[in-house]
Amino acid sequence: MSVVSPIREHLVTGGKTYHDVTEDICRHVEAKPTKEWKVAFAISVLVLLYGGSWVLWTWWEGLGVWGLNKTVGWAWDITNFVWWVGIGHAGTLISAILLLFRQKWRTSINRAAEAMTIFAVLCAASFILMHMGRPWLAYWALPFPNTFGSLWVNFNSPLVWDVFAISTYFSVSCLFWFIGLIPDLATIRDRATGVRKSIYGALSLGWTGGAKTWARYEDVSLILAGLSTPLVLSVHTIVSMDFATSVIPGWHTTIFPPYFVAGAIFSGFAMVQNLMLVTRVVYKLEDYITLEHISLMNKIITVTGSIVGVAYITEFFIAAYSGVEYEKYAFFNRAAGPLWWSYLAMMTCNVLSPQIFWFKSMRENIVVSFVIAVVVNIGMWFERFVIIVTSLHRDYLPSSWTYFTPRMGDIGDYLFSFGFFFTCFLLFSKFLPVINMAEVKSVLKSSSEKNSKQ
Amino acid sequence: MADKKYLVGIFNDEDVVMDAVQKIRSKGIKIHEVFCPYPVHGLDHVLGYERPRMGVPAFLFGITGTSLAFLLTFWTLGIDWPMNIGGKNFFPFPTNIPIVFELTVLLAAFGMAFTFFFMEGLGPSVKPLIFDVRSTDDKFAMAIDLNKNTISDSEISSFLKEVGAEEVNVKEV
Amino acid sequence: MAHKHEIPSLDESFDFSPALRKKLIISAIIGVAMVALGAFLLNNHMSIGVWSSGHGAEHGAADAHANGEHHGATLFSRIIGNIWMNSVYFLGISVVGVFFLSYNYVAKAGWYTSFKRVPEALPSFIIVPAIIMLGLFLVPSSREVIFHWAHHGVMDPASENYDKIIAGKSWYLNFGFFLVRMVSYFAIWYYLWTQIRKYSLLEDENNDIYFYNKSRSYAKMFLIFFAVTSSTAAWDFSMSIDTHWFSTMFGWYHLASWHVAGLATIMLTILLLKDHGYLKSVNFSAIHDLGKLMFGFSIFWAYVWFSQYLLIFYANLPEETIYFRERLSGYDGRYFAPFIINIVLNFVFPFLILMARESKRNMIFLKLACGSILMGHWFDFYQMQMPGIAKDQGGIGIIEWGTTLTFASMFIYFVANQLSKANLVAKNHPFLEESLHHEI
Repeated sequence: MSVVSPIREHLVTGGKTYHDVTEDICRHVEAKPTKEWKVAFAISVLVLLYGGSWVLWTWWEGLGVWGLNKTVGWAWDITNFVWWVGIGHAGTLISAILLLFRQKWRTSINRAAEAMTIFAVLCAASFILMHMGRPWLAYWALPFPNTFGSLWVNFNSPLVWDVFAISTYFSVSCLFWFIGLIPDLATIRDRATGVRKSIYGALSLGWTGGAKTWARYEDVSLILAGLSTPLVLSVHTIVSMDFATSVIPGWHTTIFPPYFVAGAIFSGFAMVQNLMLVTRVVYKLEDYITLEHISLMNKIITVTGSIVGVAYITEFFIAAYSGVEYEKYAFFNRAAGPLWWSYLAMMTCNVLSPQIFWFKSMRENIVVSFVIAVVVNIGMWFERFVIIVTSLHRDYLPSSWTYFTPRMGDIGDYLFSFGFFFTCFLLFSKFLPVINMAEVKSVLKSSSEKNSKQ
Repeated sequence: MADKKYLVGIFNDEDVVMDAVQKIRSKGIKIHEVFCPYPVHGLDHVLGYERPRMGVPAFLFGITGTSLAFLLTFWTLGIDWPMNIGGKNFFPFPTNIPIVFELTVLLAAFGMAFTFFFMEGLGPSVKPLIFDVRSTDDKFAMAIDLNKNTISDSEISSFLKEVGAEEVNVKEV
Repeated sequence: MAHKHEIPSLDESFDFSPALRKKLIISAIIGVAMVALGAFLLNNHMSIGVWSSGHGAEHGAADAHANGEHHGATLFSRIIGNIWMNSVYFLGISVVGVFFLSYNYVAKAGWYTSFKRVPEALPSFIIVPAIIMLGLFLVPSSREVIFHWAHHGVMDPASENYDKIIAGKSWYLNFGFFLVRMVSYFAIWYYLWTQIRKYSLLEDENNDIYFYNKSRSYAKMFLIFFAVTSSTAAWDFSMSIDTHWFSTMFGWYHLASWHVAGLATIMLTILLLKDHGYLKSVNFSAIHDLGKLMFGFSIFWAYVWFSQYLLIFYANLPEETIYFRERLSGYDGRYFAPFIINIVLNFVFPFLILMARESKRNMIFLKLACGSILMGHWFDFYQMQMPGIAKDQGGIGIIEWGTTLTFASMFIYFVANQLSKANLVAKNHPFLEESLHHEI
């Protein structure tokens, strides 16, 4: 059996037995919703309805309800899209890459992170539909020959790559998430009665947990992780190529693919941190999501934040070094132009603020962790805003230089995505186990302070 | 259909069950299956199962995805309706890689997953044979098909206890 | 217990025999002789080699006589280019030793502990490329050959060699600053390695977590320093050769190349030591994991390479595409073959060889993959640097083989010497038990 060094921190505290794990997690699925849950759900649905009405208005009235102008043709819509896709990276990353690296601490957080991925990708996709203006023609992005003959979509276009990448990512993430859920659904099925039993029974596909099934299941999970890891990278790579294949200064830069991926992991972990900190308190899961977990996530946030910082410096350096005056101006304008405040927000939130986690006491401070995670997500939103808007608003033609001011349509549609995201997440946390019970049990023996009965 | 009779040994701990499997198998008793609440590393090995090779379907489906994607992009943009895009070739190799990659992963993942469901007989309308409901909670249930073993029931039963089973139940189906 | 491990003795010391020392010294000398022979032959319009080498000898030499002043590349450029290229390549492999240790220390990894003395030995070689590179940089004639920006008068508006774009980079590419950067990379990388090494060796004598924590804090310092200097070093040592050209990806691409070459070196060293009966406690799970890293980072390298290529190909900006144009069809197409071989050896072969689980546990397949990766990244650095240095004089022949042989011999000498200085297993490392019982 594997040996765990005594100097490692325990991943599950409180001397839990296998049965305690089942009880602690299933309790929330089986019990009636709590008051906190109901209040949170009501607020989310209200925000969803309010934002949804703005989305409908956007489609009814047209994109004129946004603050776009003839110079800045992409602003909040694509900023929000990239932001949500970025957030949607951490789930599959935690499951896939951390599984490949055999990081046992992933077991407590992967389920919620994967759920978050799926909802975040849906939010991102909603902005693609919104910015089409005529969402009923969205199928034009798919490879159907058009009505006049057989003119196909342009497979050379990064926007078409995006369609393939996001839909593949969404489907594979759902699959990965669902496969992870099967054993836990069976656990719930075996505890449930009546209609619930048949619903969870159908969802669990008749799982019994035989050793042969488990062996194949583990092989499937590992290969899915192996497939998902390059998939995660490819998705944000392709998103970055929406910009980088162009010849706009500030967009066309070769570091974009890995830099976007690092940024995505960064903001995704921050969002997981936020959600887990809340879930942990509301569901009393302090023994499963320990300070060690929080501290490890903070470390990843610091590392990815610093990688993003290196990329910022690289971009700036190369702009100065290149000798291309447009390139130089684009970066000068970012830092010192009329949108300097967004650049400042990006730099401080993304590069400076996570450095606080070099101190152990800060890493293990729940309030600080929560606040920094929020700050990081604000910073990452500004990063996309900086890339998109500051590169566009002063383009090659100085006579069309302009400024960008959002209008209520931008804000309302953004609110819609929050409403949607939290509504989905709350439904998930009510009806499905928020922690992967089977995986936690599999590390319980080696990683808990008191081994289960022996 | 009470013609099948199983002895179900209930264990508490993964190491005990692992040890028990080895002892029982070395005694020549055939084990139907061991049901566990979580994957126990190496249990399939001591039960004498072959190493799972789910990579094979993944690879085959992946290759299929690669070929289909190449065919799609090559036929549409190279043959059916060639377009001049950015002065590049009609079928520029580098720009097709993203789509080829995505479809490879898509088919590999779904192909492998559905192969797995098919191999294990998993599906929404499947009514599973559950030997002990606690095996999805905290117990390890070892099922021994009595029809396939020549040793007497009571002997197997007492041996199960001897190797660490907490209780031994009879299950008829 | 289902799996019992026989743990072999942890006291092992590598015997760097005088016979081996002698062999390595002789092969280093042979390498130098090969370069001399190659140079002599080329001067007499003959050559031993493949691809454009022979071709280059006839046309290139004739060209050099006819309009040598214009191209500015001579046989001397080719030799200097070779030395610079191999220095950068082996420097990278050595530094990756500390890099590998550092990220494993910082991540509190346990699996690699049983072979950690191998990456720990690699950085001892840093001083050799450091001295060679400083020498090449300090001597004006070789500096001018390597770096376009160091050409005489290139930054002087009054000179006929004046180049406005390069002059615009003088704030970064100037003798003083460049020298300071070079010295600080070498000095700090080497110093931080000596510290990590020192505490690791002290740990062998005293079983105390203090030494682990000490190594770990130096590992953190190294990672912070290397995060920036891995990119700046790439700009300095490789990108500034083609002074006009720039790519933001280049730093990470260069690092990816170094990193995977370093991993292959670590793997190959382990396998060779195992062949000779050392490192018995390194089990196949650890080797399997290292194989996965090689596999993964080969793909990562290909990803970075492809992203850079695709974006430049797509946008088609002349100041960027010139870089690939030179390699694909420039100088009579002499760099086309290395360019393609680079992708095949670094991505296609390792991908196919290492995909299956069994091959990551098979000594022969692993050695094949290591060979492919090590040769492949040699070609990577070749195609990064030679078109800018040797220009129309480039080729692959006895000169290249000789230079590489000398460098490889010196590298093996240093690493073997360092390995012989300490116990081959870090016996008091707090994660050693995890590594010895590592099972996947």
